[in-house]
Amino acid sequence: MYTVAAMATDLFDGYLPESFFDEVFTGDGAVRPHYEDLVARLRVFTPRELARREQLRDVAFRSAGITFTVYGEDEGVERTFPMDLLPRIIPGDEWSIIEEGLIQRVTALNRFLDDLYVGEQAAIHDGIVPRWLVSSSDGFRREAAGIAVPQGARCLVAGIDLVRDAEGTYRVLEDNVRNPSGISYVLENRAAMTRVLPNLFGSLRVRPVDDYGVILLEALRNVAPPTAGDPTVVVLTPGVHNSAYFEHAFLARQMGVELVEGRDLVVDDHVVYMRTTRGLQRVDVIYRRIDDAFIDPVVFRRDSMLGVPGLVAAARAGNVTLANAVGNGVADDKAVYAFVPDLIRYYLGEEPIVQNCTTYLLWEPDQREAVLDRLDELVVKPVGESGGYGLCIGPAASDGELAEVAARIEADPRGYIAQEVVSLSRHPTLVDDHLEGRHVDFRPFVLSGETTKVIPGGLTRVALRRGSLVVNSSQGGGSKDTWVLRDDVKDDETKDEQAA
Amino acid sequence: MRLDIRYRCSFEYAELVHESQNELRACPVSDHRQTVLGYRVSTIPASRVFSFDDYWGTRVDTFGVREPHIYLEVVAEATVETRSTPLVTTTPTLDALSDPAFVQEHWEYLERTPHADWGGAIAKEAATQVELTGPEVVSVALGIHRRVGALLSYRPGTTYVGVEVDELLDRRQGVCQDYAHLAVAMCRSVGIPARYVSGYLFTDDDATGQDVDSDEVQVQTHAWFEAAVPGYGWLALDPTNRQAVGLRHVKIGHGRDYDDVSPLRGTYSGPHTATLEVGVEMRRLGSTTPVPSYHQQHQQQEQQQQ
Amino acid sequence: MLSRHAEHLFWTGRYVERAADTARLLDVTYHSLLSAPPAEARQGWHDVLDVLHATQAFAEDHEVVDARGVCDFLVRDVDNDGSIVCSVHRARENARSVRELVSTELWESLNTFWLELQSRDLRRDLEQQPYELYGIIRRRCQEVTGTAAETMPHDDGWRFLTLGSMLERAEMTCRLLNVRFAPFTEADDELGFHQATHVLRSASASEAFRKAHRSMTLKNVVEFLLLSATFPRSVLFCMRAAESALQDVDSPDRVSRAMRVLGRRRADLEFTDVAELLATDVHAFLEDIQEDIRRAAELVAVQFFRHTDEFAVFHSLERV
Repeated sequence: MYTVAAMATDLFDGYLPESFFDEVFTGDGAVRPHYEDLVARLRVFTPRELARREQLRDVAFRSAGITFTVYGEDEGVERTFPMDLLPRIIPGDEWSIIEEGLIQRVTALNRFLDDLYVGEQAAIHDGIVPRWLVSSSDGFRREAAGIAVPQGARCLVAGIDLVRDAEGTYRVLEDNVRNPSGISYVLENRAAMTRVLPNLFGSLRVRPVDDYGVILLEALRNVAPPTAGDPTVVVLTPGVHNSAYFEHAFLARQMGVELVEGRDLVVDDHVVYMRTTRGLQRVDVIYRRIDDAFIDPVVFRRDSMLGVPGLVAAARAGNVTLANAVGNGVADDKAVYAFVPDLIRYYLGEEPIVQNCTTYLLWEPDQREAVLDRLDELVVKPVGESGGYGLCIGPAASDGELAEVAARIEADPRGYIAQEVVSLSRHPTLVDDHLEGRHVDFRPFVLSGETTKVIPGGLTRVALRRGSLVVNSSQGGGSKDTWVLRDDVKDDETKDEQAA
Repeated sequence: MRLDIRYRCSFEYAELVHESQNELRACPVSDHRQTVLGYRVSTIPASRVFSFDDYWGTRVDTFGVREPHIYLEVVAEATVETRSTPLVTTTPTLDALSDPAFVQEHWEYLERTPHADWGGAIAKEAATQVELTGPEVVSVALGIHRRVGALLSYRPGTTYVGVEVDELLDRRQGVCQDYAHLAVAMCRSVGIPARYVSGYLFTDDDATGQDVDSDEVQVQTHAWFEAAVPGYGWLALDPTNRQAVGLRHVKIGHGRDYDDVSPLRGTYSGPHTATLEVGVEMRRLGSTTPVPSYHQQHQQQEQQQQ
Repeated sequence: MLSRHAEHLFWTGRYVERAADTARLLDVTYHSLLSAPPAEARQGWHDVLDVLHATQAFAEDHEVVDARGVCDFLVRDVDNDGSIVCSVHRARENARSVRELVSTELWESLNTFWLELQSRDLRRDLEQQPYELYGIIRRRCQEVTGTAAETMPHDDGWRFLTLGSMLERAEMTCRLLNVRFAPFTEADDELGFHQATHVLRSASASEAFRKAHRSMTLKNVVEFLLLSATFPRSVLFCMRAAESALQDVDSPDRVSRAMRVLGRRRADLEFTDVAELLATDVHAFLEDIQEDIRRAAELVAVQFFRHTDEFAVFHSLERV
């Protein structure tokens, strides 16, 4: 085994894991087995060479046009989502557990949502989740009551955010089942790494992610209405001014399907059509990247120009499938998140394989009081937001901010949850010409349909500022390519050790 | 009482419009106090109607007209039989309202909603009723119902849903939706779950809602409210006409407020100007009057939807 | 392809062509009138406004018809829909909406063109070096068209781009002929050399004409600009190209209404005897062609783009 001392490389000189769980190094400073190869290969890079690779990477991203911000008046502010050159590696055996846990979780979420909108609402009747919690969730869409989705695949694409605590245990931080984004970075990061640092891959058998387009298209076709012969799939985008537009266009290209806006679609006789130069062409499945509230002005916000009038009626009539389904927001409501382990037990009769983070529900007077007492030690989150907005990290907040948060909680206890600060794991990250530890989290993507699959990889997000726990792209985060290794590698290693 | 109802709503546009998509909520509900014997919807231009029951249990008919048109009309015809409901015999007091199970079950009808959001003035009015008429829930509900009828004077004309309930206390006038929203807001402010009801009333005078000799009337859709009484169910009251809901009332459906049960909503593509005409014909039938032939169709449709 | 995309490409083609043809017309007119007596110059500029159907619009804000006023109006007036800056702006906007469909090179060439116009002092250009400016505009337009031809797959997107520019070009050539030769008189077979050269140069046709015809007669000029099968700016050539594009974007067994209108007119043109034509009302004949082109363009919109507005306005129906 290699240790830090034996490395004697400029790159890792002075690297301190400190008290955090480090992805690469153990507590004794040894390199974890699945990183040995990578670390060894990194030894040969001088800081100058690394800087050159970084430039190559920048060029690759810029020419691919990967941005995540708006096209402004003319060109607007286009920022790239910075990818750090050091990949994050997950060994095959660890991955198997994560995979099982994610499949379990998404299966339970699908069952819950299906039960809620189309079924008997058993989980509510049996007291697993309070009725009022569901009714009071902004994401609960009564307009979707009774609309079935083939295979019950309401969370066709789920992004389940995981973190690793101080003991190195993976925990679910939050569920994103409305409109999870980020897969385009996963694919582009991998493409960039293979171009910029092909030698790092070495003998490691990294599982590919580049077939995502094929897998996603298959999943979408899988949920087409039964009567659709050769289903036509489209990606529905709000348009160029949406911050994730790049991903919408990217996925449409990857799948070889049309990218449409609301105005390109029209509903006739409860069937959805695309306006094409050869007439109206029927649409069977819509991968819609538009929020529920804007998707149909007849049923939801009347002022929305982004949606398609009559779309929900067409879905209800069974003539088109919307993926992800309308109304998933109730499942990624952070207050409902706290009940997901119970939902797993209820619907699947199993113990959750991956645990939640410790969460406090603020409408319970005792819990609220305890939380208000310790606001400076906890993380407070609004239940309905994504992207890290409205987040308050106690230890990093000023007295003024804490007072404001307390006031908001008092005014609307249903609107917030509190969690213990998770000491996120860290990963060596390039800072100027050397490595420093930065906090990371992980968003794998889970696809439902006939079967539930987890893409082997995912988006590792890095908080680029020293000490920061905020990893979101919109708030100064970056990313890393994530390598899931085939189990064989581990097997080979064990054999070698035995032989030695 | 057996009644024939013909709801008709038409739009005449200044220029050709197209891509009209609509949701109609005009079909009476079948429940403990009424049974729908027949129902059908037709549109001009003709369109295929798709029907379902929404979250609140109201029948919805959706239809669309894609081709350019200058006129849109929808007609809903129903035959319904109304029955009297048993009187309230239980006398729960206000503390029964805080029973956790009761609150859980009626949670949706206790919260503020866009059209039934109350401020201090309304809360005060309601609290006064509690003082004057409490502690029995039924009495308070009746007190509120009467108070709303006294506070507002009926002002007919094109109905416009957009007035805040708080404003009503200043304006002192409104149409039936306003009466219903105000009553709902007042009930909720003192913890009585209340819901908004859309329906029809057989009368020739919208202000008084009284019965007439004639067997045919022309009306508009009507609105009233229901208050949840622990141990009984929903008490239906019509504050616009200061009367209990009876045989001449035909319920379409209920919701948290107008938005959940509006008779017709939709969009179309084209210029803004449209002339709206809406009206309801109601005919009181003798019990021996044969039911229209579309009754059969309706029964079949009901079965298909199981 | 999506109707919305097709419409954007169609209009990109039209607007680029419009900018180019306007520049060409202004260039030739300006230089041919430089040494003309004032009355003739004024008439010349009147004619330009006439060609572009801009007489009324011009009169709204201008009293005097002169070189400066007209060139200003037609090149840099942002309030004039037909000005070159407006055309280029709209071409760019349309292309931007379908940026994924047009190649990077095409987008960049159009974007650079637009940026260049923005950054130039056009007023000064018009005063001091109009020849340069018109040349730049013409070359930029050609660059855009050429880049499109070279870098876009010749699929439906490309066909709609071409359809737009061919219809615009056909119309423009008709107008050129129409104004220059109105009113026609029966006996007028001898044409002023000056006038003839002007027309041909406006259409960039001088040299090609001389290869095809020896003498500069009215008949020959009309025949060339109307009926040349090979010269890319002739009305017949453009109509055939438009028809071809139209045929390719439609189903093979269909003859669309737009196609019928274009096809009928094109067939009629093919059998036109120019000598006979000159004995009749040529002006009306040319107007009829333009009318057909306009109708065809509308029919294209109805069939392929559905005449849906950029933003279909949805109105909520508030009910009782």
